[in-house]
Amino acid sequence: MVLYEIVGVFIYPGMAFLFGLAFLYEWIDRKFFARVQNRIGPLYTGRSGILQPVADFIKLLSKEDIVPASCERPVFSAIPIVYATLPLIALFVIPITGSALIAFEGDVIFLMFVSALITLTVFLAGWSSAGSFSRIGGIRSALQMLSYEIPFGLALIGPAISAHSLSLTKIAQWQAANSSWFLWLQPIGFAVVLISLLAELELVPFDIPEAETEIVAGWLTEYGGRRLALFRLGKDLELVVASTLVASLYLGGAQPLFFIPPVVILILKSIIVLLLISFVRAIFARFRIDQMTSGMWTYLLPLMIVQILLVQFGIGG
Amino acid sequence: MSYGSTIKVPFGPQHPALKEPEYFLFEVDGDIVVKVTPRIGYVHRGVEKAFEQETYLHNLYLAERICGICSHAHTTCYTQTVEGLIPLEVPPRAVYIRLIMAELERLHSHSLWVGIAAHEAGFDTLFMYLWRDREMIMDLMEEISGNRVTHAINTIGGVRRDITNEQANKIKKFMDRFEGNVKEYMKVLETEQTFLKRTKGVGILKPRDAISLCAVGPTLRASGIKSDVRADDPYLAYGEIPFNVITHDGCDVYARTIVRCEEMIESANIIRYALDHLPEGKIRVPPPRTIAPNESVGRVEAPRGELIHYARSNGTAKPERYKVRAPTLGNLASVCQTLIGAHVADIPMILAGIDPCFSCMDRMTITVKKA
Repeated sequence: MVLYEIVGVFIYPGMAFLFGLAFLYEWIDRKFFARVQNRIGPLYTGRSGILQPVADFIKLLSKEDIVPASCERPVFSAIPIVYATLPLIALFVIPITGSALIAFEGDVIFLMFVSALITLTVFLAGWSSAGSFSRIGGIRSALQMLSYEIPFGLALIGPAISAHSLSLTKIAQWQAANSSWFLWLQPIGFAVVLISLLAELELVPFDIPEAETEIVAGWLTEYGGRRLALFRLGKDLELVVASTLVASLYLGGAQPLFFIPPVVILILKSIIVLLLISFVRAIFARFRIDQMTSGMWTYLLPLMIVQILLVQFGIGG
Repeated sequence: MSYGSTIKVPFGPQHPALKEPEYFLFEVDGDIVVKVTPRIGYVHRGVEKAFEQETYLHNLYLAERICGICSHAHTTCYTQTVEGLIPLEVPPRAVYIRLIMAELERLHSHSLWVGIAAHEAGFDTLFMYLWRDREMIMDLMEEISGNRVTHAINTIGGVRRDITNEQANKIKKFMDRFEGNVKEYMKVLETEQTFLKRTKGVGILKPRDAISLCAVGPTLRASGIKSDVRADDPYLAYGEIPFNVITHDGCDVYARTIVRCEEMIESANIIRYALDHLPEGKIRVPPPRTIAPNESVGRVEAPRGELIHYARSNGTAKPERYKVRAPTLGNLASVCQTLIGAHVADIPMILAGIDPCFSCMDRMTITVKKA
């Protein structure tokens, strides 16, 4: 029994499986983004470049890590580890194989808490780096969280109200039992959750905290070597969290189809969400921080309130 | 943060927003810039001194390497200035070939710039598409002159290579395709809301300020002022070719983008007209080695604005004094003015808006000796 738990946490559907999924999703994202731009993307490492994210990770581990002299050393060193671990914790709650590793009533709230912690980690990373670019990047990321946090939370709550449960596993099972996905029951919520996730993952049009052309690399500027490798792993894991979360909450989750196991179906659905996110990333320019905050409060929040009202009146499950 | 205190944000000399090194110290209050202190001279190479050490023909290759993107503009201005010193009449076919290369260079420089502007705004997809089209122009230039940049097609007294008929047909066919692509990109730029939000109303330069701060080129024309050396003081064959001077009343970065895109379409028309009316004859005349004492000024419309060269000869084979004033130096004062009051996120857009070419610009450096 204990061996079963250990294999579950470390191998499948635990850490090894999730790291593999993270590298696969990064490859899909980079390849699709490149093809939209009429480029090729990763090509040489492995068949069609599929091992490129792994190669980048290993390369970064071997690079020299320069620490700025005036940074806050303990925070600076601890942040990358925390940043790589938090999405992993979030992933333990998402039902990837049909049932999550840890499932309890209230995991939707737990997920929102973990995503808020991730943004706090980003702010601390920028703050402890003690350079003006990093500081500005950290401040921008905190400001961004103030804007997308409420619509994001409401978009997670919409399906929870309809399914009468705050557990992600139960929400996914509700969609399977009623054979209707929240994609068409609550379409406004789907759109809002995608936009808020773009803001949380710091992707164009909301990659303001690490706008390369304005503030070098924002909060990531002073990190290099092993610490940067952990940050990039954290980012890939966040991509997995985002796509599997939307797939579970809005696209029906892990349902078996004929003889195909449910985990494969969930991965396929989350890849569709990932392609959607990559496509939006390719076709827009970057917003300015004040345009982003005003836009989110003016448009996203009222839309989400309308969606919740619709759910309360019985439209949408 | 605290009341009234400002953060000092240094831009450069190495920064992803600047393609060439210069130092700007911004004092930022929250997200708004309150003061800009530029410091130039990082790419000062002693070019004007080097001009005085070598013969006129040798200096041609030095003039070409003042800048990579506008290298043909520099050699055109140089040969024009030295031919004004002698004075020497250039055969008409050479004049037309110089003009075609100058317009091709304007095309490549403007498409480079619009790509960079899209990249600064975070719009990487348009950046990739534009630079893919720019590669085709570079291939054309390589076919005509042998090089992608620093074409070395000018010489004192004419040009070194001829354009054959099949090259002319190839260029004409490509111009049709390129013009179609540019019109499509303009449609994207005019309707893409995220790009418009980053460029409309950003970096406003009123027409009166533009004139008093000596702005030149597309920066000046985007504030509604019709000023183009090709029309005001026709050099090469611009007096014989009908073309429009593009202006726009927006005064912001969006207006500068539109002006450059429309100038690209205008250049394609000029190239087609010039190729159809290419006169026959020889392509160069031999210049004398020594030049009698004389003074001469040459002005051309480089892609970035008005480029001025001044030469003074003293009867020997080497110039006595040579001065180069690049267009970016003219635009620097106006950019420092427009940066005040902008958000930090607008800084790269505004800096890129003048199409900075600092390697053209640096002629003077200030050394501060600490006691």
